[in-house]
Amino acid sequence: MNILEAKDIHKYFREPTEFHVLKGLTFHIEKGKFISITGKSGSGKSTLLYLLSTMDTDFEGSIKINGEEMRGKSNRWLADFRNHHIGFVFQFHFLLPEFSALRNVMLPGLKRAQQPPDEVEHKAYELLKLLDVEDQAKKRAVLLSGGQQQRVAIARALINDPLIVMGDEPTGNLDSRNSAIVFDLFSQLAAERGQTMLMVTHDDEFAEKSDHIIHLADGRIDKQ
Amino acid sequence: MKIAKDFKLAASIAFTHMRAKLKQTIIATVGVAFGITVFIFMVSVMEGTNEFTEDVVFEQSPHLRLYNEIALAEHSILDRAAPSAWNVVHHQKPKDILPNLKDGIRAVEELGKDHRVLAISASVSTQLFYRLGSASVNGRVLGINFENEDALFALGSKIVEGGHEKLATQPNSLLMGVGLARKLNVATGDKLSVTTEKGDNFQVTIIGLFKTGLTDIDNQQSYASLKTVQRFLGVPASYITDIKVKLHDKELAPEIVEELENRYQYSGSDWKKDNSALLEGNVLRNMITYGVASTILLVAGFGIFNILTMMIYEKMKDIAILKATGFSDTDVRWVFLIQAIVIGFIGAVMGLIFGFLLAYATSRMPFESDVMITMDHLPVSFKPIYYISGFTFGILTTILAGYMPSRHAAKVDPITILRG
Repeated sequence: MNILEAKDIHKYFREPTEFHVLKGLTFHIEKGKFISITGKSGSGKSTLLYLLSTMDTDFEGSIKINGEEMRGKSNRWLADFRNHHIGFVFQFHFLLPEFSALRNVMLPGLKRAQQPPDEVEHKAYELLKLLDVEDQAKKRAVLLSGGQQQRVAIARALINDPLIVMGDEPTGNLDSRNSAIVFDLFSQLAAERGQTMLMVTHDDEFAEKSDHIIHLADGRIDKQ
Repeated sequence: MKIAKDFKLAASIAFTHMRAKLKQTIIATVGVAFGITVFIFMVSVMEGTNEFTEDVVFEQSPHLRLYNEIALAEHSILDRAAPSAWNVVHHQKPKDILPNLKDGIRAVEELGKDHRVLAISASVSTQLFYRLGSASVNGRVLGINFENEDALFALGSKIVEGGHEKLATQPNSLLMGVGLARKLNVATGDKLSVTTEKGDNFQVTIIGLFKTGLTDIDNQQSYASLKTVQRFLGVPASYITDIKVKLHDKELAPEIVEELENRYQYSGSDWKKDNSALLEGNVLRNMITYGVASTILLVAGFGIFNILTMMIYEKMKDIAILKATGFSDTDVRWVFLIQAIVIGFIGAVMGLIFGFLLAYATSRMPFESDVMITMDHLPVSFKPIYYISGFTFGILTTILAGYMPSRHAAKVDPITILRG
């Protein structure tokens, strides 16, 4: 079953001069797989990820996630969709600095508002435990180390049981040991929970271990 | 339900932001509070002063008065002789008429029975010279029935020396304005002479002094009984020149004046016409007060605008994360708008409290004026409308100041931030 289908995606940057970044990408991603997007700097791999993330709506072609077309949807609808189905891990952890680690994890769950807050809190705590940072739960995010912050960010990405977890160089900031831990966690989630992992990386070792690699070169898919 | 939950969540984020930036939040709040405080204080004191002067003046001003005015005859005798012709009379002279009201006593009786009338006083007024030794001061004397005049103007409370009791019984007795008495250097019990316009001389006794607070009156007017003034003028007891009326509802004065002018063929005027300059001045003063206060609030509004704008620039990353994790533009807007509203609300409430305290403290401040005898403290007005309008205006300014940055925050494009 295809969780994500992309058809003939074109993307242009208009500033400072018009630049054709993605030149007709067509691919699909199966549910529960671990996919790496690789490519040199400027090959358009991050651009592709942000298109697939539904945050960038300025493109040509079609992106279907879980059978739903993403093109032409309102911002509000897309925000809600992200909240329910997509989890994000960014390169620079990006936690809200004034909030505690636990609260950071809880926020998307609270926004979803499907469970009462105490259940969201319990779930967030379980996730922190899974990522081995439960002892930092009450600390403000700004006081955590880089590795700890990244794990909290991963926990946040998982709080709403998303269909797809997307990462923009999720291990780019971690040492090889932590990097391996994170990778194992992602593949475990893919295998056990059937969640699809979609990671942009330039770490070849990381990419080699994944189920599929989408390699971009000069705005086209080089090999798949 | 979902909307309420979204709002609650936005509020919790807003409060966390404010707690993290407590110092800035407090400064913004104090800015609003200061604006409202000054607004409340200025309006209270300004309006208090306005009301006080109005009271002083209107106490001396009847709601409506009827008098006889020297006027040109509208129709000349030629019109009767040649009704069909064009008659032009050049340089017509005013008729020599007596300034008394025709059938004045009957009009007073009739008006006394009118249910709209609260009190009525008939009087005779005339110009005369006060003479003491070689000095001669031009002034006026008003012949009154003390009880009636007192009902209109609370004259009894204006007497600062002597008493009015002998006014009706003792012939040629006068209640004199303090300013006039000072000019003549006379006191209660002193005698002096007055000369009427026709040249008749009378010996009068001062039985008391009064002070209204209006220099015009205090410096040139005396009160005497109706009979005394009628004797000065050599006219019968039916001779009165002014009828002054106090109404139950003073707003009705202009229409009643018109009605009475038509009924009795007298000239008339009401308190609005008599005090138009004062009323106009009040409007102007209020405009200045509200203008200054609004400017202060506007400055406070700019403070909020600044702080929120800065906060939003600092929080760009946070906004991007919130959006990436599924918060909508509206949610983000609320996060910042709520901060503005909370700052505005707390600031406004604090401003109302401090404004009230400041106004109250001012109203307790002893202040004795030589001119205004009835004042011992600074006049301050405490109408709820000032507090309502101050609060509303404060909230509106802050919401407006918060709205623009909030909209800016809602429009933040998460990708540009997240990609770095």
